[in-house]
Amino acid sequence: MGPMRSWLRRALSLLQRVEDAALVGLLMVMIGLAVAQILLRNLFEGGLVWGDMLVRTLVLWLGLLGAMVATRQNQHIRIDIIARFLPERVQRAADTLVSVFTGAICAAAAWFSLQFVASEREFGGVAFAGVPVWLCEAIIPFAFAVIALRFLILAALNLTRTIKPGP
Amino acid sequence: MTSLFFVLALTLLALLGTPLFAVILAVAMAGFWTVGVDLSVIAIELYRLADTPALVALPLFTFAGYLLGESQTSRRLVRLTRALLGWMPGGLAVVAFVTCAFFTAFTGASGVTIVALGALLYPALKQAGFGEQFSMGLVTTSGSLGLLLPPSLPLILYGIIAQQLNVGRDLAIGDLFLAGILPGCLMIVLLSGWSVWVNRRHPIPLVPLSRKEAWAAVRAAIWEIPLPLFLLGGIYGGFFAISEAAAVTALYVLCVEVLIYREIQLRQLPGIMRESMIMVGGILLILGVSLASTNFLIDAQIPMQLFAFIQAHVSGKIVFLILLNLLLLLLGAILDIFSAIVIMVPLILPVAVSYGVDPVHLGIIFLANMQIGYVTPPVGMNLFIASYRFKTPVTTVYRATVPFMLVLLVAVVIITYWPALSLVLIGR
Repeated sequence: MGPMRSWLRRALSLLQRVEDAALVGLLMVMIGLAVAQILLRNLFEGGLVWGDMLVRTLVLWLGLLGAMVATRQNQHIRIDIIARFLPERVQRAADTLVSVFTGAICAAAAWFSLQFVASEREFGGVAFAGVPVWLCEAIIPFAFAVIALRFLILAALNLTRTIKPGP
Repeated sequence: MTSLFFVLALTLLALLGTPLFAVILAVAMAGFWTVGVDLSVIAIELYRLADTPALVALPLFTFAGYLLGESQTSRRLVRLTRALLGWMPGGLAVVAFVTCAFFTAFTGASGVTIVALGALLYPALKQAGFGEQFSMGLVTTSGSLGLLLPPSLPLILYGIIAQQLNVGRDLAIGDLFLAGILPGCLMIVLLSGWSVWVNRRHPIPLVPLSRKEAWAAVRAAIWEIPLPLFLLGGIYGGFFAISEAAAVTALYVLCVEVLIYREIQLRQLPGIMRESMIMVGGILLILGVSLASTNFLIDAQIPMQLFAFIQAHVSGKIVFLILLNLLLLLLGAILDIFSAIVIMVPLILPVAVSYGVDPVHLGIIFLANMQIGYVTPPVGMNLFIASYRFKTPVTTVYRATVPFMLVLLVAVVIITYWPALSLVLIGR
């Protein structure tokens, strides 16, 4: 358990740094590119043919990266009317159930979207400027896999805490 | 039988706090699975997020809003509004409504307004002589005032979803922006009028208009004043599309707050970007999975059945609108505004259009109702934020806010049954 856990922790902290850097980088690229497109169109009546497509793909990537990061602190949009009024022990049990369910759903979504991306890769197809379509779509299974992993870890942590109440 | 069990189990999970995207995803996957569609369709639906040009506006406006929330914009805005409007009857109350409405339009009603502006306005209102309970209610209500004013994110999201549905009438986000202006102002006017009336017995001393202070306040906010002007001017002057306006706004706000006012350090930027993209991610994920579930619902002809059912039981536009109001008020109290839009608009819009409701008008009705949901006891989000922020028991906040909520309810009734108020600016 020990070495396995420290390995997992290191992998997760590396993932966090990559996510943060990607969010910042992609958002900057998006702002820059979008403004450049306006300038090019209004001043030179031109513009990058692939620019708009790239910006739109960035929306997908930023959204899914943001969703991955939101999972870290469990910041997804939810209804919390009932949870507010539950006693703590019941609430923790409910949290575990919810995390297992969410993790399972996301794992399934990751699996099926991976199949889709694989078939797209076989099929070929270029999104813009030589970038293949499957690469643009690859973030979908990846994001679901990370979200699933985080919810399952959350469930496991919750469970160990429920079984032997720590300090 | 199985499907009933499934629905009950999912409802329970949702109420226990399952992230809504997971609930919707489960509905979509189960639905496609029962009709024998390969589940990799989920990825196809999510990829449609990259195929919707107007969506580009969402992360950009959100980021700009977070930047404004983190800098001292709120302080300058209060000073400016106070210098210009403080002489009016109602004084600081009117100032508070106007300031909050502007701020919320740009930052989205995510609680930033109460946290950033409430902290300034609540003590200022009490100091100016308004009652404690009145001030509390005012600040809590103002936290979501401005949802109807451009460039509010819920308006954009409604427009994007309505465009996907193809209901036969064109619907531009620019039209929605214009349509929200008068109803948004109506809310401000009614709330201000009510504030003056409540305090008629003990008039609040007014701040006389001082040319010197007004000029100083304008000078202080000189870099932020052009923001609404060139945003609206740019869009309606035809210089740029909504998504481009969002890009320009984001870049402009970034430069002004970081380079000119220097209130945001460079090293703070990654954190602000991350927080804003967490919000964007939450919204986009729900939007993406609900594109899938909506598609399944349409395949299964659920909206058609819903429409047939409603038409058999509801006669006439007025009855329909009354039921719509009740439904939306209830939903607004339970769901957050973004999920409510994403889940309900695909179901409601086709029905509403067939009753002769203009899709633009429906959007305004929808958001106006949702706005009340923010302050509806016992679960409205603003009530909890205010209770937390001002360290007051939430029941006290309930009592303080209810009168304001009733005023907003009057506004919603006017907005719902007087379509011209929303539609006159776009000439429909």
